[in-house]
Amino acid sequence: MSPELGFGVAAAVLVALMAISVLRMAIGPTVADRAVALDTVNTLVVTTMVLLGAATGLVVLVDVAIVYALLSFVGMLYIARYLEGGLK
Amino acid sequence: MTALTVLQVANLVLIVAGAVLTVWLRDLLASVVALAAMSLLLALQFYLLQAPDVAIAEAGIGAALTTAIFVLALRKTRRKEEEE
Repeated sequence: MSPELGFGVAAAVLVALMAISVLRMAIGPTVADRAVALDTVNTLVVTTMVLLGAATGLVVLVDVAIVYALLSFVGMLYIARYLEGGLK
Repeated sequence: MTALTVLQVANLVLIVAGAVLTVWLRDLLASVVALAAMSLLLALQFYLLQAPDVAIAEAGIGAALTTAIFVLALRKTRRKEEEE
């Protein structure tokens, strides 16, 4: 198996997992389920970015993933604070 | 059809699913969560189209700023959307 095909297959599996998480976001009965699904999609997107950065060999693409991981954490923090009843 | 094209098409399908979900959900907090997921996947799409600077801007505005502002606005108003 060539390296390019391996990276492609791995990225395809990650996108398939993202689809499953979006499905959970659609059918999740509570908002907590949807928030966890969003966090899962966050993690999978960051993983895909790092994977493609490794596939192309460009370090600048990994920087995008780092910024992304930080900002998605802040977004999740706001939703979690609201769910908990804080944010007064 | 290269592997990158397949990834882009699959990601576009997920973006449309997230957008439809945002409009379809009645609970507005769940709607904000779906919107955050959509902008997240949109940033991945920019990344796949070899525009990492645009992806950083989209991540900053979409994931952090929009979610925070919408949640703060929800706190001041009602959470459930009324059925017509």
